[in-house]
Amino acid sequence: MTITSTPTAAASRSVRERLLRRGREGADADRAVLVLHDVTKTYPNGKTALRDVDLVIPEGDFVFLVGPSGAGKSTLIKLLIRDELASLGQVVLDGQDLARLPRRSVPKVRRKIGIVFQDFKLLPTKNVWENVAFALEVTGTPRRKIRPAVDRVLALVGLTAQREQIPSQLSGGEQQRTAIARALVHDPRLIIADEPTGNLDPLISWEIIQLLLRINELGVTVMMATHDADVVTALRKRVVALEEGRVIRDEVGGAYHRAD
Amino acid sequence: MIGFVAFSIRRAWQGFWRNALMSLAATATMVLMLVLLAGFWIIQTGLLSALDFTEQKVEVVANIDLDASPSDIAALEATIRAMPEVAGVTFISKDEALARFQASMKAQGREDLTKYLDTNPLTASEEVKLKDPGFSKTVADALRNQPAVRNVLDTKDTAQNVKTVTDILRTAGTVILVVIGVIVLFIIVNTIRLAVFARAEEIEIMRLVGASDAFIRWPFVFEGAMVGLFGAAITLTGLYLLSEPIASFMVDFFRVLPLSFGSLANQLILLVTAAGLGLGILGSWVSVRTYLIR
Repeated sequence: MTITSTPTAAASRSVRERLLRRGREGADADRAVLVLHDVTKTYPNGKTALRDVDLVIPEGDFVFLVGPSGAGKSTLIKLLIRDELASLGQVVLDGQDLARLPRRSVPKVRRKIGIVFQDFKLLPTKNVWENVAFALEVTGTPRRKIRPAVDRVLALVGLTAQREQIPSQLSGGEQQRTAIARALVHDPRLIIADEPTGNLDPLISWEIIQLLLRINELGVTVMMATHDADVVTALRKRVVALEEGRVIRDEVGGAYHRAD
Repeated sequence: MIGFVAFSIRRAWQGFWRNALMSLAATATMVLMLVLLAGFWIIQTGLLSALDFTEQKVEVVANIDLDASPSDIAALEATIRAMPEVAGVTFISKDEALARFQASMKAQGREDLTKYLDTNPLTASEEVKLKDPGFSKTVADALRNQPAVRNVLDTKDTAQNVKTVTDILRTAGTVILVVIGVIVLFIIVNTIRLAVFARAEEIEIMRLVGASDAFIRWPFVFEGAMVGLFGAAITLTGLYLLSEPIASFMVDFFRVLPLSFGSLANQLILLVTAAGLGLGILGSWVSVRTYLIR
């Protein structure tokens, strides 16, 4: 490490190095992180939440998932973390068909996905550092590996100084950055952010978006469900629009609303 | 593996104190239920001892021929002892029979008529204790055929009545104990379910970050075991402090000797600890299952 490099830069570089290494190892494998093929989900009560959804998300992509409430976004996320199984069709995450996954392998697959929620879902009695470390503790990571991993992601999201504070002492943006650090600590293939800026004011929202973009630049695939039209339209990333369980639009460089 | 167990126990300990109010409520419920269970178990044990005691009173008495020689009597006693239905046999000589008769007359406050007698008119007898009152007819019939036996006191009807009553009481006691056990199980499982429900968000986070079922389940199971052990300890302490009154109550009510209270206490400690531990573990196991991978 050179004298001039900041902790954040060092952390970023170590994440990038690991991603490059992984990229070389999997160079011949399918480059898509996530493939949904003709996925239909009908709940036991007869309600169909998703119909014939086809979606391919290549590694390193940044995708906005838009659509009104009840369009099927939550169901889609539940399928990805295998909380629910598709009624028809295939959900393939990182080359693994989730329907064929034995029960005991489900936790391992979930570690490939980092999830960020609108309501942060932090443990109120644990401080920032402990909240992030919790994700590693409960997955049986040895203690000596927990410390450097947590320090690294906290540096990445810029919360090294707030590590001893508990969530109620933090601003909304800091709480969400803690949640993002927790999502990153398993070194995931895919970050799913479900309305991550829904509880934040516009300025802080932009900070969070910037952070997600930076994480994406480091090579982590990001899928963000949002209602924030300004953000989607301004960034001109890939936009997947859901309505009544169908993908009605999937375009790169799209706006929040259809450009008619 | 050791790391996992240490993790689970540490988390259980933290979880117990972090939600102290909920944990104490669960422990209090556990104590109440264990006291209920222990109380009924004590009553049931006392009842069974009393029933055994009553059944021991059922015996077959064989009066012996006046002209029977000591060797005849010895042979009869050996025959009786050899019978599989017999628990024990006591020989009552003519003199002992007379002494008993006099004592019983005196106890009833009646005049001692025997002083008007020149000789002892009573017969010697064998008092046969049975392993089960149901055997009384078999044993009585067998004794009637013995050469040295003059007659057999027929207690057939009494024996049958005692047997019917004791059987009903035994069955009723067991049924009540089982019913109480089931009620206790439901109440404790529900209390622990509430305690687990209060931590639903924590479990949700564990699931989302990819914790395996074992990592989610075992801390709660250990926590349930803690509730059970605390509950058992408090219950047993309470019972110990009350052991004097309980013992005297049992002696008064069921005529059970205090001597048996030592072994009773051991059984009670075992029962309460096992019930507390078992209920705590089962309660957590069932409650946390709802949140595991479907």
